[in-house]
Amino acid sequence: MLTLYRPGTSWFYRAPAGPKAFVLLLVVLAVSLLPSTYLSAAIAGAVTVLAYIVSRVGVAELGHQVVATRWIIVITFGFQVLFLPMESAIANTARVVAAIVIAALLVLTTRVGDLLDAFERGLRPFTRFGLDPARVALVLAVAITTIPVLTRLAVGVREAQRARGARAGLRSFVIPFLVVSLKHADELGDALTARGVS
Amino acid sequence: MTEPIILDDVCVMLGDRLALDSVSLHLDAHRIAVIGSNGSGKSTFARVLGGLVSPTTGTVSVHGVDPVRQSAALRRLVGFVFSNPDAQIIMPTVAEDAAFSLRSEKLPRAESAERVRVALEEFGLTELADRAAYDLSGGQKQLLALCGAVIRRPQLMIADEPTAYLDARNARLIADHLLAPTDRRLVLVTHDLELAQRCDVAVLFEDGRMTGVGDPADLVSRYEASLAC
Ligand SMILES: Nc1ncnc2c1ncn2[C@@H]1O[C@H](COP(=O)(O)OP(=O)(O)OP(=O)(O)O)[C@@H](O)[C@H]1O
Ligand SMILES: [Mg+2]
Repeated sequence: MLTLYRPGTSWFYRAPAGPKAFVLLLVVLAVSLLPSTYLSAAIAGAVTVLAYIVSRVGVAELGHQVVATRWIIVITFGFQVLFLPMESAIANTARVVAAIVIAALLVLTTRVGDLLDAFERGLRPFTRFGLDPARVALVLAVAITTIPVLTRLAVGVREAQRARGARAGLRSFVIPFLVVSLKHADELGDALTARGVS
Repeated sequence: MTEPIILDDVCVMLGDRLALDSVSLHLDAHRIAVIGSNGSGKSTFARVLGGLVSPTTGTVSVHGVDPVRQSAALRRLVGFVFSNPDAQIIMPTVAEDAAFSLRSEKLPRAESAERVRVALEEFGLTELADRAAYDLSGGQKQLLALCGAVIRRPQLMIADEPTAYLDARNARLIADHLLAPTDRRLVLVTHDLELAQRCDVAVLFEDGRMTGVGDPADLVSRYEASLAC
């Protein structure tokens, strides 16, 4: 579900990251605050389609994003329908999915570097509370880069255990996974130092 | 030309092991191979030069810079490439990862973009500029790591088994980039003895001690003889 920047040329791609993030945040908020009715579900859907058309990212990409959130749809709807009337379940699921898919527009059309720069600027007022925006942005960037690597390490640990006939268990997984993750963190630390991060 | 690399009676304790045992060296050569068996101290030597480990005793001078006391100057001087292609990528996409190396230099945007463009081209990564770094092959990742080091224009490139994770073709590609004639010096830690012989001088480590420095062909045959018995 890690949506990633695809190069494009429409005005929405070229728009500065900060204002773009702000506008999308407003749209996401507006959609989230809709009441739980069938009409809201329709509005959320319409706003999403409109957002993908206006930004020229395209309805095809919208399709990809919705497919990517299929488990969220299933889980959200599944839980809600157990406890809430059908109308609320449908409306809530539609709002959640619309919010995620609209937020994805930001990541799809903005380079992470620009996003982090905008983020850094946005955090600047907090410097007086001892926050170092550049550090925070760096940590975020490293996190984004590292998630897929850790996923692969986890798969590797699982396979190594299976190859030795170990039974699947949380405890037998956690320790080796922790070891490889820490080793990775250690190596990444060296790489950061070598590239001028002090 | 550039100033030498000098180690004077350097010892490094790691945990309770003496990883480097009274190493003294004076290196003037341009391309320096570092060879020796597993655990002999090669990486520790490279990390001392790169300022990632401080000597427990003794002094080091890298092109006139003391890696411990002048760490900022050393960072500008040295580029480092490691073995594991996955653990060297910091930013999510290729171009951004290359650009990351320039962050600490605070260059004007246009200049930094131009340097990224040139560097990506040098390593054949232009087409991949906007791709997610984790989508690359191991060889492409290692090219990106090298690109991220070269873009800072280091005087000294330190590479610790840069071809260890690569297939023969990619290993050759990385080696050719590293060994290509430039005015930057190279310290290349490797188990690939053919590669070692393409350097101008070799340094042999055994059990934490530096036991030879000189013509790569001589040292490689000495090392091979020591393996045979
Ligand atoms: N962090 C550490 N803590 C304790 N001992 C260490 C540490 N890192 C390395 N050593 C030990 O120091 C010695 C030298 O290690 P070093 O990594 O320099 O060897 P190397 O020549 O690079 O070996 P290889 O060819 O396997 O990479 C080894 O005996 C190793 O076990
Ligand atoms: Mg080593």
